Amino acid sequence: MTTAPQAADAAEVTEIDTSARWPLLLLLGSALLWLVLSGILALANLVQLHTPEFMAGCSALTYGRLSAIQETAFIYGWAANSGLAVALWLLARLGGAPLRSLNWVVAGTLFWNFALILGIAGIATGDMTSNAWLHLPAYVLPMLLVAYGTIAVPGVLAWTGRRKEMTFAAQWYAVAALFLFPWLFSIAQMMLVFAPERGVLQALVAGWFVQGAWTLWLAPLALAAAYYLVPKITGRIIPSYDFAQLSFWTLLFVGAWTGGRHLIGGPVPAWVATIAVVSCALLLFHYIVVAVNLRGAFCSGGSTVLKFVAFGLAAYVAGGFLDAYTAMRGVAVHTQFTHFSEGQAQLALNGAFSMLMYGAIYFLVPRITGLAWPSVPLIRAHYAAALTGTIVLVVTLIGAGCVQGHDLNTAAIPFADIAGHVRPWLLAATAGQAILLLGNLLLATHLFWLAAAKSVAPAVFNPAPTMEASVS
Amino acid sequence: MSDLTPKDPRVEQAGASDESLQAAHEKLLGRKPDDGAHYKMLPLVLLFVFSGLIFYAGTYLNQYSARYDATVFNENGHSTKGVTAVAKIDPMVLGKKNFELVCATCHQVTGLGVPGVYPPLAESEWVNGSEERLIRIVLHGLKGPVSVKGTVYSAAAMPVFGKVAASGYNWSDDKIAAVLTYIRASFGNKAPAVTSEQVAAIHAKEADRKEWSAEELLKLP
Repeated sequence: MTTAPQAADAAEVTEIDTSARWPLLLLLGSALLWLVLSGILALANLVQLHTPEFMAGCSALTYGRLSAIQETAFIYGWAANSGLAVALWLLARLGGAPLRSLNWVVAGTLFWNFALILGIAGIATGDMTSNAWLHLPAYVLPMLLVAYGTIAVPGVLAWTGRRKEMTFAAQWYAVAALFLFPWLFSIAQMMLVFAPERGVLQALVAGWFVQGAWTLWLAPLALAAAYYLVPKITGRIIPSYDFAQLSFWTLLFVGAWTGGRHLIGGPVPAWVATIAVVSCALLLFHYIVVAVNLRGAFCSGGSTVLKFVAFGLAAYVAGGFLDAYTAMRGVAVHTQFTHFSEGQAQLALNGAFSMLMYGAIYFLVPRITGLAWPSVPLIRAHYAAALTGTIVLVVTLIGAGCVQGHDLNTAAIPFADIAGHVRPWLLAATAGQAILLLGNLLLATHLFWLAAAKSVAPAVFNPAPTMEASVS
Repeated sequence: MSDLTPKDPRVEQAGASDESLQAAHEKLLGRKPDDGAHYKMLPLVLLFVFSGLIFYAGTYLNQYSARYDATVFNENGHSTKGVTAVAKIDPMVLGKKNFELVCATCHQVTGLGVPGVYPPLAESEWVNGSEERLIRIVLHGLKGPVSVKGTVYSAAAMPVFGKVAASGYNWSDDKIAAVLTYIRASFGNKAPAVTSEQVAAIHAKEADRKEWSAEELLKLP
């Protein structure tokens, strides 16, 4: 399809990439360390689910605290660091100028990760709060907010100071994520931790935050990467691009309203759940457009990055449909408050977000460092492990949820038997998490090997062809 | 490194430059939908899908939102907003409230009255005795001398409480019954309750009239 001339109209790698090398490597390096840590903890956590006596003697590593630490390390460690690195790089490239105030990124990253270590130590010693995705103790929350703002400054500058008036879909999503997280995070801090709301309102705010942090922060970060990588690698225009805007605004307007889906069947006024059901359905439009726009990823043409992106997109769209399906009240009766929801969360986080980030990392690291990834087998092995691990983990958790949901709704089955019925599924999920962890260890090793730059070949880039502006 | 094939996963090659990628997509956004003088199928389908979802959303919202009532927890439940609740009210509660608001000004909260000025209700033969008389006193008022517990109050002036002519209070029959029930069961009194029906019957029988005198009342059963 791409018969575009190979004329070297623009160098593929410029000062934009190389000037951001160390700040972005700092973000990505910390991200991967957190990812590995969170993977290890997730494994231990899953073991505790079927073997409760595992590490039960150590108060810091009991199920509840371990689960909170694992989730925090994943969201605020891996997802935040990697997502910010990718967003900053995209905004710089598409803005057409090197990132300014990169010292802010370095300082912000150091403070962010320091606060996170402090917070996780706090959770381990019993200072955790009871809010999902916001288990961090009160004393680190303001520091995290300030550090986030500091890291985001160059991204905002790259947006406001962009060389061209025109904007591209990847920029919309990246900028939205940069601005929306402080909004969500500061409101959640106030209403859940510093001046906690009482009663039903607390559950509502908690649901809104968890869902908002996904739909308005992590999902846009991942989509920014996808909207850039697919046309960039295939060299083809995004089909039905006119709808990308409508899809973007649908996500922004409706996204956080789906928060009530965590409360379906819970003690909240009926309209809260009803709005969530309706919002999940409306959001299907967004998912359909994303699938239509980025279908190019599924004809990867041998590109490894696009294989990661394709899996991530498939997981993202499938997750959206699964959300809408399980939000229906008749279905929620069976799936709500079971391992099923955990399976959905893993599909979104490991399946969609992480996969898209892996793709972006493989694409951008050679550009910022000027070095080629040292080993092809390592990349292939990581892809295989990430793919298998995620699928096994998600499928088994969903299977466990179905069994659990059925049993819980059958009064004749004693509670202890339910744990027995779910056990084989959880054993398989543990295996899935182990494979996933192995894959992530490979990626982390690979990055540190590359960064150490010993016996690593320099990256050579073909001149990038010109994309034909004609409508295909 | 010599391998420049686009397939090498060690260095992913770009299929388009950033500049041309942005330029190509910018052109698309300003485009008219009927480029080439005919609509394409996909945009139409997408619009129909979106409209369908909005239609479903609106219908579902209308059906299961319970008018956004914060007190309805079942999606099939109905909001009580705008519907007058007919709640059963305890006459003792209603009676006590109105007694303390109005009657206690003269008869005192203790029901003992003020010696020589306002007759007591506690252990009064009028309160514990004939309901026929008691209801009439509150309904239409009482004027002139009256003897209570052996003491004569020469210038009694019980106001008109019922929904009758010249009434200053316009109390409903329910309210009168509640207050009477309250005073007949308080201050040491142990007389049976007065029902709304009893009050209503006398109200209907006597209609509008001037205040009663003690003599007139004593002729009644």
